[in-house]
Amino acid sequence: MATNPMHQFNVYKIGPEIKINGIDLSFTNSSLFMLISAISISIFLLLGTKDKKIIPGKFQLLSEMLYNFISKMISDTAGKKAKPYFPFIFSLFIFVLFCNMVGMLPYSFTVTSHIIVTLAFAMFIFIGVTILGFVIHGFKYLKIFVPSGVPVILLPIIMVIEIISYLSRPVSLSVRLFANMMAGHTMLKVFGGFVISLGLVAGWLPLTFSVALTGLEILVAFLQAYVFAILTCIYLNDALNLHH
Amino acid sequence: MTKQDDLETRLKIAKSKLEIKHSKADTKKGAFLGNAFKLGTELVAAVAVGSIIGFILDNWFGTKPLFIILLFLFGSAAGIYNVIKTAKKMQENKE
Repeated sequence: MATNPMHQFNVYKIGPEIKINGIDLSFTNSSLFMLISAISISIFLLLGTKDKKIIPGKFQLLSEMLYNFISKMISDTAGKKAKPYFPFIFSLFIFVLFCNMVGMLPYSFTVTSHIIVTLAFAMFIFIGVTILGFVIHGFKYLKIFVPSGVPVILLPIIMVIEIISYLSRPVSLSVRLFANMMAGHTMLKVFGGFVISLGLVAGWLPLTFSVALTGLEILVAFLQAYVFAILTCIYLNDALNLHH
Repeated sequence: MTKQDDLETRLKIAKSKLEIKHSKADTKKGAFLGNAFKLGTELVAAVAVGSIIGFILDNWFGTKPLFIILLFLFGSAAGIYNVIKTAKKMQENKE
């Protein structure tokens, strides 16, 4: 085991190097763990929907709860108009959740602890929501940069602020998920290292911390997936129901 | 008939109790932590985005420190504005 706490975030190639047009498309450990998450999601949901009983079994109950949870979240934050986007938000939530949770297993790799992954999610959402806004409202969508009830003299300043605030959405969305996951896993590793270096004499103290932190990390893993999904809903709501 | 009614009312009471328990537990632990993270990054992200836009504009026009200073200030304003907006939304949800 490496003692460097950042060693766990290394991305390395698995198998042969694949290069197309100078773009590196090799299969890495990151891709492997994305695949593991996707496969475990598929297995979990297939088991949950295999036999539909009136009295649900464990897996069916869990997947139904998950469905209800997301469905309620969407109707609470974005209203009825957002119903067609349920599959997108559901897949987004469950993928981020499973990536985080698979990352909690020992010796595994946390896909969401790399900013390029979370930024790709966030930019996809940001660009998608912006296009959606323009498709639904046309050029009226630009109204979100002009809040009502602002004096004309202040308008240019407010508009610049609104535009920066709009552009900061993907950054805050991606940085939050990435920073939480990376900080948490680094902390776990550091405390784990303390246990080894302090040995039997005083290693019990960091060990208790480590156990408590693992619990906290599982909470954070769920919470960040939830926040990611709920903010997507809020942005979707802004694009669907224009009110300013 | 009366037996069934009795059972239904008891079920209702039990369900409502369960719901109260659930909602309390959810809002107390999870939501607060989530909100704290949300506010923090919201503030920082706008400043970063403003500064980056300023940096790019400076490189375009060759006016080295002008836009980066200006847009840093605008970014800070946008960050604070974002925090106020999210805080207002949280308060609405609470009530």
